[in-house]
Amino acid sequence: MSDIIAPPSVRTRALEKGIDLEKLAKDLGRTSIALEDLEGGKPAAGPAGDTSYWEVDHSQYGPVTEEPMSRFAQVAAANLGAANALIPQVTHHDRADVTAIEALRKDLKPEAQARGVKLTALAFQAKALARALREFPRFNASLSADGKTLILKDYVHIGIAVDTAHGLMVPVLRDVDRKGLWQIAAEITDLATRAQSRKIALDEMGGASMSISNLGGIGGIGFTPIVNPPELAILGITRTETLTVWEGDTPRPVPMVPLDLSYDHRVINGADAARFVTYLAGLIADPRRIMV
Amino acid sequence: MSDNHADLIVLGAGPGGYACAFRAADLGRKTVMVDPRATLGGVCLNVGCIPSKTLLHAAEVIREARHINDWGISTGKVSVDLDKLRAKKDGIVGQLTTGLTGLAKRRKVQTIRGTAQFTGTGSLDIDGESWTFDQAVIAVGSAPLRLPGWPEDDRIWDSSDALELRDIPKRLAIVGGGIIGLEMATIYAALGSNVTVIEFMDQVAPGADAEAVAVLHAALEAEGVTIHTGTKVSQVKATKTALTLTCEGGFEGSIKADAAIQAVGRRSNGSLVAPEAAGVEIDDRGIIHVDASCRTNVETIFAIGDVTGNPMLAHRATHQGHIAAEVASGHAAALDTDLIPSVAYTNPELAWAGLTEAQAKDQGIAHKTASFPWAASGRNLASGGGDGLTKLVYCPNTHRLLGASIVGRNAGELLAECVLAMEMGGRLEDIALTVHAHPTLSETIGFSAERALGTLTDL
Repeated sequence: MSDIIAPPSVRTRALEKGIDLEKLAKDLGRTSIALEDLEGGKPAAGPAGDTSYWEVDHSQYGPVTEEPMSRFAQVAAANLGAANALIPQVTHHDRADVTAIEALRKDLKPEAQARGVKLTALAFQAKALARALREFPRFNASLSADGKTLILKDYVHIGIAVDTAHGLMVPVLRDVDRKGLWQIAAEITDLATRAQSRKIALDEMGGASMSISNLGGIGGIGFTPIVNPPELAILGITRTETLTVWEGDTPRPVPMVPLDLSYDHRVINGADAARFVTYLAGLIADPRRIMV
Repeated sequence: MSDNHADLIVLGAGPGGYACAFRAADLGRKTVMVDPRATLGGVCLNVGCIPSKTLLHAAEVIREARHINDWGISTGKVSVDLDKLRAKKDGIVGQLTTGLTGLAKRRKVQTIRGTAQFTGTGSLDIDGESWTFDQAVIAVGSAPLRLPGWPEDDRIWDSSDALELRDIPKRLAIVGGGIIGLEMATIYAALGSNVTVIEFMDQVAPGADAEAVAVLHAALEAEGVTIHTGTKVSQVKATKTALTLTCEGGFEGSIKADAAIQAVGRRSNGSLVAPEAAGVEIDDRGIIHVDASCRTNVETIFAIGDVTGNPMLAHRATHQGHIAAEVASGHAAALDTDLIPSVAYTNPELAWAGLTEAQAKDQGIAHKTASFPWAASGRNLASGGGDGLTKLVYCPNTHRLLGASIVGRNAGELLAECVLAMEMGGRLEDIALTVHAHPTLSETIGFSAERALGTLTDL
């Protein structure tokens, strides 16, 4: 007998719909599956609040069209709902000076062209984050589902959130601490391209130390990303902006990238987060320190 | 292409074959069904389940009449008119097979009497006529196993012969104490034979729960049946006056009998349809292996029922028949369960499904058991029932029901509740909190669950 409890009516429907019950149960974090679970429906976990007033006939206010949520989007929605409902999250905001990185990127442009690699700011940020994760091992960890054990990781994998036509995907860049910038830049481009065409293998997702959600190419001055469990934190990045920085009495224009670190407050406290982001911003401001 | 072409052809009209053909027809398929018998229904209807249940009912009535003396009711000596009883049985079988013919007609399923053999992946021969087909379902069932080294003799029967009710032997030896052997013992003991059952394993009904089997074993002995377990028949001699069975093991000695029934299991009929001509793989036991969707290794050919191996039971075949018809017609379907109930229609009946205590132990599955003795069931005593037992196997952590064994009157009917509970993932609480009518035998299932939960007040 299977460990998953599902009546014959549910098993038959799952078979017809091509749904793997074992996997669905795992995704939902449950051992029993009901007919409703096969229809997507409400987030699996979350406060059992009254959502009946969400059910509104919108067409009474004007013309509407309906579009079904894809299976992919439904699973993502359920995970985000669970993460937001179950994890006490705090977001720490800061900025980092990117003058040095921008200068370096400019210097390396001919070489980048020769190599056919786009050396993005994100590659530097990923590399800096990898270094910071080695320096702060408690950020490179996961909390067991029962909250009783902290699992510290002796590897640094970074998830890169990619906005695709079919929804949000988070492929994972492996061993970022051991890779050079050229390789990191090339792999990010490769993962992002394949994510667009949904050609990411299952084993290329999951297992990240932390994820980055980069909106720098679009805009914004800051946001509060949601932690992607079982990771403990997520780094949000928005568009670099040139700000006036006063050095004594002298105003100086400095390009600054906004950094927003959302973290699981059950494991990480505010002071730790501030130290982590300060250290990270320092690495970004002076990328030579990443090598040291 | 020949004129003889079938969209879907089903080989065999037993409970699997006709269920498959009818379901396919209901799904809009043009279906042909082939069977060598004069009537539909296969072994089950013609020479198996149905005739045996008819005779078991007669046995039950005879037994009741004998025992009702205690209640102040006398019937005098019960006499059996064998010809009339046989006619009654044949009449019931006839009624059911005729009904099936009607159902086939109504669905426009073409039935052909004949023996089919494959000649290619998409062709077969039916008694010399060539046929082609798009899809085929092999449902040719099984036949009783014959023991090697036995003499040829009219007094040696298989289960089908025994159900013909040729005569009532004074001394009857039954080799094989499985479900079929024990049912034959029940019938012939009631009809007046002096029955001896010889079983090779250490208990009759091997595979069933030992505690439940002990109740049946004692009841059979009380009806005058002699049972030798752990015993092998090493030699059989036929003389004019008797058959002599020489036994070794648990019982050493010889048994003289006027007839002997071989009930040592059944063998798949797979090889009869020449599956190799169609490229369908068959193993050395004649079994055609299929996946949960009843597919063989050849995409257009399916197999269902006894031909696909154990458990060789009609209700498994029926479910597989529906699945094969659905999958062949483009639907997603699969036999997605291991809960195939087993029932011995003995007196008392023995029924079980899911894990037995011994299986759970062997497989290292965490389990506990809870049981309710029928001596404490008001309904059982009030209706003159003998000893009985309801026994549940459950997971101590989740309280999920893992298996059930029931021995007692109507055990086969009672088991359905447990099977449904297991399919639904039911827990002891679900069973205990379901209101069972009083007084009923089904209460013993609720009571067993209550006993496990410590809420029982009837013991």
